[in-house]
Amino acid sequence: MQLTGMLWGRKLLDLVEFPHSEVGGPESSVDEIKDMIKKHGEVFIKPVFKGGVGKKGKSGLIGRAKNIGDALKEKERLYFAEHKDGTATYKADGVTFEGAVPAKYEIYFSISESTVFRAPTMTITHHGGVDIEELEPSKIAQVPFDPLTGLKAFHVSNALEGLGAPAEVISPLVQNLPKLWDLYNNYGMLMLELNPIRMNPAGGRLTPVACDFKCAFDQDDPAWKRLGLPSHVFASDYSEFEQEINQLRTYQGQSDVFIMNDKGTITAPTFGGGANAMVTELLGEDAIISSDFGGNPPYEKMNDIARISFKYWLPQSNVLFIIGGKANNTDIYETFRAMADGLRAFFNERGPVPLFVVVGRGGPNLIRGMSYMKDTLDTLRVPYRFFGHDSAMSEVINYALAVNDWMKAGGREEIKAAMNIS
Amino acid sequence: MHKQGVEKFPYYVGIDNLSQLATKDDRVVVLNILGKESSTVTPTSHEYSGGNVVFGTGPGKSGKSLPTKLGNIPVYNSIKEGMLAGHKFNVVVVYLPPSGVKDGVAEAVRHNPDLKKVIVLTEKISVKDARIMRAICQTNGVDLFGGNCLGLADAWNHVRLGGALGGSHPEESLIKGSVAIFSNSGNFTTTIAVYLATAGWGTTTSVSSGKDVYIQYGPKEFIHAFDNDDRSKVGVIYSEPGGYYEHGLESKKPLVACVVGRWKARLSKACGHAGSLAGSGDDAFAKEKWFMDYFGVDGIYTPGNPVCSKKGALVTNIAHIPEALTQVMKANGMKPDFEPQGSLALKAWFGSNQGLKLPKNLDLPQVEAISPYNEQIQALDKQVGAQFRRETMKDASGASMMDPSTQVSKIHNTSILDASKHTFEANLVYSLLKEYPSAYGETIANMALNGYVNQHGQPALAAAEAARENGSSPNTVAASAVGIVGRKTAQKAMDAAQALLELFQFSKLANPEADFDYAAQLKEGAKCKDALVSASEDGCAAKWAEGLKKAGNSVFVNFCLDLAKQEKGHIGCDTLLAATWLTLGWTSLRTKKISKSTLTRLPWYSRVFSTLVGITAPASRQTEDSFCGVKIADLVGKSFTETAFMALLGRAPSKDELFEFQVLLGLIITNGPGTISAQGAKGAVSADGPEQPDRVQVNKGFIGFLSHTGFAHGGNGYEAAAFLIEKFKDQPLKSADDKNHGIDLEKIAMDTAKEYNAYKNEQKAIGNLEYAKIPCVNHPVFKGKDVNMDPREEFVRKLFEEKGLDNVFLDFYHHLVNALFKAKVSKNVYCVNIDAVIAVILLKVVWREYKAGDMKEEDIEQASFSTFLFGRMIGCAAEIDDHTNRGRNMDTRTPASQVSYVG
Repeated sequence: MQLTGMLWGRKLLDLVEFPHSEVGGPESSVDEIKDMIKKHGEVFIKPVFKGGVGKKGKSGLIGRAKNIGDALKEKERLYFAEHKDGTATYKADGVTFEGAVPAKYEIYFSISESTVFRAPTMTITHHGGVDIEELEPSKIAQVPFDPLTGLKAFHVSNALEGLGAPAEVISPLVQNLPKLWDLYNNYGMLMLELNPIRMNPAGGRLTPVACDFKCAFDQDDPAWKRLGLPSHVFASDYSEFEQEINQLRTYQGQSDVFIMNDKGTITAPTFGGGANAMVTELLGEDAIISSDFGGNPPYEKMNDIARISFKYWLPQSNVLFIIGGKANNTDIYETFRAMADGLRAFFNERGPVPLFVVVGRGGPNLIRGMSYMKDTLDTLRVPYRFFGHDSAMSEVINYALAVNDWMKAGGREEIKAAMNIS
Repeated sequence: MHKQGVEKFPYYVGIDNLSQLATKDDRVVVLNILGKESSTVTPTSHEYSGGNVVFGTGPGKSGKSLPTKLGNIPVYNSIKEGMLAGHKFNVVVVYLPPSGVKDGVAEAVRHNPDLKKVIVLTEKISVKDARIMRAICQTNGVDLFGGNCLGLADAWNHVRLGGALGGSHPEESLIKGSVAIFSNSGNFTTTIAVYLATAGWGTTTSVSSGKDVYIQYGPKEFIHAFDNDDRSKVGVIYSEPGGYYEHGLESKKPLVACVVGRWKARLSKACGHAGSLAGSGDDAFAKEKWFMDYFGVDGIYTPGNPVCSKKGALVTNIAHIPEALTQVMKANGMKPDFEPQGSLALKAWFGSNQGLKLPKNLDLPQVEAISPYNEQIQALDKQVGAQFRRETMKDASGASMMDPSTQVSKIHNTSILDASKHTFEANLVYSLLKEYPSAYGETIANMALNGYVNQHGQPALAAAEAARENGSSPNTVAASAVGIVGRKTAQKAMDAAQALLELFQFSKLANPEADFDYAAQLKEGAKCKDALVSASEDGCAAKWAEGLKKAGNSVFVNFCLDLAKQEKGHIGCDTLLAATWLTLGWTSLRTKKISKSTLTRLPWYSRVFSTLVGITAPASRQTEDSFCGVKIADLVGKSFTETAFMALLGRAPSKDELFEFQVLLGLIITNGPGTISAQGAKGAVSADGPEQPDRVQVNKGFIGFLSHTGFAHGGNGYEAAAFLIEKFKDQPLKSADDKNHGIDLEKIAMDTAKEYNAYKNEQKAIGNLEYAKIPCVNHPVFKGKDVNMDPREEFVRKLFEEKGLDNVFLDFYHHLVNALFKAKVSKNVYCVNIDAVIAVILLKVVWREYKAGDMKEEDIEQASFSTFLFGRMIGCAAEIDDHTNRGRNMDTRTPASQVSYVG
């Protein structure tokens, strides 16, 4: 759950009265843009992406204009711009117009949880405006602080002094930056980054003005809901399937899913974070989803998960692959019964689909669970192999992959014929 | 701000040696001890550790306790209350829901200065709470573990703190040895221990660290304590992307690191472990490199590329840990702790190809599971037949359903369209056994059904005749007769079925139509003599047995005959009826499609089927040795479909008529559990109390079905027949399959449409909107297109076309829907719906008799209704059996709060 850009960032900064550049949304009229250019001499035009998107500047996705004609041209260019970041492609939906802020210095500032210090940590430099990874470590200060007392003025001043920052930036930053801890701490953030904060000399004294905004929220902390952000802000983070599953999210039993390849052919309900890491890695592109349904989900929840997952993915699946290690406390009978009933319901409602079921599992009530699944598959005439926890999980995964390969090479048709599916 | 612990750390760490992590001296308090998870896991931990839990808390639950084999664990409202009661402890295990965890930890730290360890099992704790808990524990000198972890276990000390490491039988996985485990995954902590045993390695201390953003007790703390632990000779670190916890890790002892999660670089949000979302420098590749640099190796250890050093090895697959660890230890001159236990090779505990031929590499044989699972699987073999979960079956069915989009109903997942290609007898068998019978099966089913069809001199026929004479409708007549087919009618046959079941249920008999050595059962047979052997000879039974033998092979029939010989007695009809139905139902029982009680009740159903068909023929057509003019000896060899036809119409059908009649019956089988007939059957079962299936009266179930049919449901098929008679009675049509009938169907259709249009306009003009509709055209689902089709009608029409079966009445219906459109009665071409098909088939069958004056219109109406009853009997038999197996007592009633009074 990430949020980038000033369209929403300015509203969050207003909550703690942190100064920011003047921002107009996609709805800004020609007159408003003209006024902005008149007032600031120049405007930046930035595409609005949903979710967390970085490195926009480097990709030429920041326009700047000193007249309305150029501004509108840039608006047209960037309104639906596409941006590739790693393996993901993002599509913009709108632009912001942001008044240019003249500045002597650019500051980078962030708060995040450091796994080195195991504490919330401020990262700061007065050499901001560039990617922080590109700077020498000596130019950056990382300051962990006590979460019970929070980020204090002295953390900021000591850090800047240590970096040898110009004296004129220290006081205004000391006055303003600690406010951001309130934003971070009170609204369930995992990361908050302002880069750049431009130190504006207008009025004779430097004022820090946030010109870009990025934050990530903790999904397990309901505090972000207090912000009242519209749900569409995070909508791109989740597919329909993921949203449906997420509605089942409670602390009892995991229900984490991520679509790996919506053209994949193996549906793999996976139990346990470790199994999830291993299974998804070895299945590669064949996996439709990556999931973790461990944590001893009750029957009803598991049955709902199974029904939703089957509804979306079973028709295209060659293999239903139920996989986990030797469960510690997940009741295999309850979870298998829930999935078997889900499968039976799917066949009843939608008709049979050609399928091979591979199971690798151990844990409490294992044989009862496997037996229930076996009886169900026998009734549905679905072929299967079940392995206990004494078969290496990786070998079971390889077996599932081999079944999938055979299915692709004609096995699916054979099963179709055997199951009398027209 | 933190207390001073182990000096080398810039934060508080209290544990100096792994042997201190989980000790016999630790005394534990469990927060939310009566929660679902804790109440299951805590007793095992407590018992495994020799009773280390002193009390638990649960707000408002003071005075309660958690039972364990070592005695009850007391529960208090709060930690304060527990301490006031005199309990001392140094460990707190937290099972609170996420929002309460932080407060629980604060409570424990505040009230107990002796507190040393806090283990948090809870998942989905917010990062904010995690950092605050850490700060509280740091300030007060408490070691914190988790959240989202499974705690700590020590195989040497036989102690488990926190969660369920080792599952419900920790001693199976936590075998004493020399390996210390630190794992981000709780499940893998146990799984790695299990894998290690296959190479002969046991464990010392196992730490499940959790993989939230905050790992409170990290690898560095673990390695420090590991280095100081003389018991631990080698360490296993399982880690996932995200965080710098493993960066710069160094140990005095060898290590095997397993890093999994390269693909996680593709994730844009956490899936599974919340902390597994890497940034730029802490992904799986980075972590692999940290370890490779430390070990001084240039690759990942795999069996094909076994790279390791004395310092250790890196693997990316947990299955490679045992081998890599053995190699690393070999380099250090150390041998495994014990002989390898089992192997990690693929072993399929369960498998079925469902008749498919799989390639060799996939066709893995089933192998015996390791102990104790093999014994459990063996015990499963003793579970014979299906066991259904009982639930409220009001408006629900495990037998039938209607697909709302296609309107095609299914019985046991077979559409009625497909079912209509099977004979009446095959569908009757299928309704109860969920499997169509083989050719031999159909033959012996016919013998059983026909053998009891003749009702001459029987009270059931007398009841039916009386009801008929007094003007009852066909369903009421049938109900009167079926009421007489009570339990005692079939009791002997059911006893015989039960005896056969008991003799054979644990045998290897899979296919009762193949040869089987039943010598062992014969030896046991004497004790079932009363149920299976008759003292006196029965000529009828002898002939039946001869017929069965001639038709094919049945293990049960052969066995009963041999048993009778062995016991110097005779075989009776009841025994043969039982043997027949056991032959039919055995495979379904073995494959757990049906329950044992269904199997033993089959003879009762059989008797009801025979009776319902038998009483449809009037007494005048039944004699002591004949039925509708056919000698009983000949009748048993006929198809029961033919018998039903004869019972209805008093004559034998032609081959084509037989097929059409079969299709007709198939189409009527079911319309899902919502139909009144199904509801009646289900209600009757529900009222008997299916939770004691032996109390359910099968014949009463059928009475429920029959009493829930009537002139509006079942009898209404006649409307269409009456409409057609009206149109064709004055036409020179001799036979409905006469292609050269010479009748201008188009003209009749257009006249009808025009007439109807005029009638409709007239009725509308006088304000009557309830004007009569033409029966069997149009459908609420199959409408709206230019030309509409009911797929069920289309299916049957094509089926008949393939067989070359013509039907003038069906042709007329198609002309009619076009004429209605042309005459502007309809805005598009209506479909001819499935009810029309039923009407036209029936009318075609009786047309000759009607034209010859042998059948009157009311006779056609009666035949139409009885045909419906025959077809629906199939579906309702399935509902009765299904509800008996799955339903709850009185589950079809509607609560008083949901009904209304209309005064």
